[in-house]
Amino acid sequence: MRNFSHVDAASAKEASSNASKSSALFIAGGTDLLGTLKDEILPSYPEKVINLKTIGGMDGIRDEGGAVLIGALAKISALAESDLAIAHATALAQACEKVASPTIRNMATIGGNICQMHRCWYFRVPDNRFACRRKGGNYCPARIGDNRYHSIYGEQDGCYAASSHDTAPALIALGATISTTKRKLAAEDFFVINGIRSNALEADEVVTEISVPKAAKSAFQKFALRKSIDFPLVNCAAARLGDDSVCIALGGVYPSPVRIQAAEAAVAGGITEASAQSAADAAVAECRPLPKSGYKVEIARALVKRTLMELK
Amino acid sequence: MASNVSRRDFLKGGGLAGITIAGVASLGVGSVLGTEEACAATATMTEFVYTCPVCGQHTSDYDALVKHFDGTHPGAAVPQAVALTINGTTFMAQVEPQWTLRETLLYAVGLTGNAKQMCDRGACGSCSVLIDGVPALSCSVLAVECEGRQIETSEGIAADPAYRPLFESYVKHDASQCGYCTPGHLTVAKYILTKYGDPSADQIRAELAGNICRCGTYSRHVAAIQEAAASLKGGN
Repeated sequence: MRNFSHVDAASAKEASSNASKSSALFIAGGTDLLGTLKDEILPSYPEKVINLKTIGGMDGIRDEGGAVLIGALAKISALAESDLAIAHATALAQACEKVASPTIRNMATIGGNICQMHRCWYFRVPDNRFACRRKGGNYCPARIGDNRYHSIYGEQDGCYAASSHDTAPALIALGATISTTKRKLAAEDFFVINGIRSNALEADEVVTEISVPKAAKSAFQKFALRKSIDFPLVNCAAARLGDDSVCIALGGVYPSPVRIQAAEAAVAGGITEASAQSAADAAVAECRPLPKSGYKVEIARALVKRTLMELK
Repeated sequence: MASNVSRRDFLKGGGLAGITIAGVASLGVGSVLGTEEACAATATMTEFVYTCPVCGQHTSDYDALVKHFDGTHPGAAVPQAVALTINGTTFMAQVEPQWTLRETLLYAVGLTGNAKQMCDRGACGSCSVLIDGVPALSCSVLAVECEGRQIETSEGIAADPAYRPLFESYVKHDASQCGYCTPGHLTVAKYILTKYGDPSADQIRAELAGNICRCGTYSRHVAAIQEAAASLKGGN
């Protein structure tokens, strides 16, 4: 890695104001950030890395009436084992259990997981060799290159990457709200393409807390090539919300995780084997896979059905 | 330097001085390994020398180093002086902010077990160390963020007589082939033994899921750790 200066932050506000003064990146668990800095995949290298781990009181998981409040610094492993999350945000706890490896789960934080950058191999190629759409270029190398792990729902702002967070579809399905130092965002609005970022955050904005409304029942399914340490090819989360409606979200199929309203409509009258199947078919009806990513359509179809059957 | 430092330690020390830490570091290495001669040498440790990573100039205290940077290398990030507690011994190390714990263990402290470069991207688990008793990847942690935390490497576990049965059962079951991933496996194995006491095969497989072995010795780790658990329980 090239040189940078390292600053410990005492509070999220301080970290944010410190970041607005010079080019800076935030480090929490570091499992994503250090890889990007070692490979120098970004168009610019930060002068400063601001350590968020020194901020006190931001790693709790607590019960707040109708919602589970999760501090951004809560470890993925803590969430996977939290009784509160397992009981009321089952999909999120299950998703956390499937993130990477046990060792990485001990280090990585939920805030970092939702802020990780895309795993597209053209975006991630060392030394920033492709000026792709995410880096201010005018084309997507995956469009004509090897796109076996890319989008099946077409492009977003010219980019065909696939979202790689395991927790994102769970947060969307559960209707979570993400608080930052500047605002509150619904999970659905949080995950959008934004330059090199996979979320709507500004350069000096820090995620502080995630509020997940309690759901009676929710489930998560992941399909990856390897059982341990692998990013999802496709993952799916579904939740039965308070008003008995069902919310379904897919990850790994589009640059941002997507909520599938067509599938939700298909199971509005109750979940049966047949309605789950028609929801799965509806979910992939609009797919426009790339030449090599067509197989992911069938994976998405199967995962939507499996996840819904768990909610039965 | 003490007269009874071995040639090997002396050579290590020479290499270290060129990188960041002068003289004293080599004595520290020995004490981590727990050799008698090194323990004697540690007693002679008196001062810590800071070395400018840009021009190689030595200074005796940190303030002087900061002043040197302000005057001679304005704009460059100043190395930090960090006290790292490794295997129970606290070391002063001059660490650059971008150094990972793995690089620091290898280049500044001289512990070669867990600190070999494998994938260096957090994908293989070979560099796993215990930080405050929990496995963490030393390639994905910045050394400056480890101050005040208990770091334990495979060398420390090897020097602990209580964990002798673990190493013996690893040897007995031939649970390492090329040996590259073994230090990482052993540190996680210690965590498994302390967490579960008497781990089941499924628990061991789940906890070792992040440790990749290209030789494919996976089944033997399970057998070796279970046998170690049995003999640790028997008070052996």
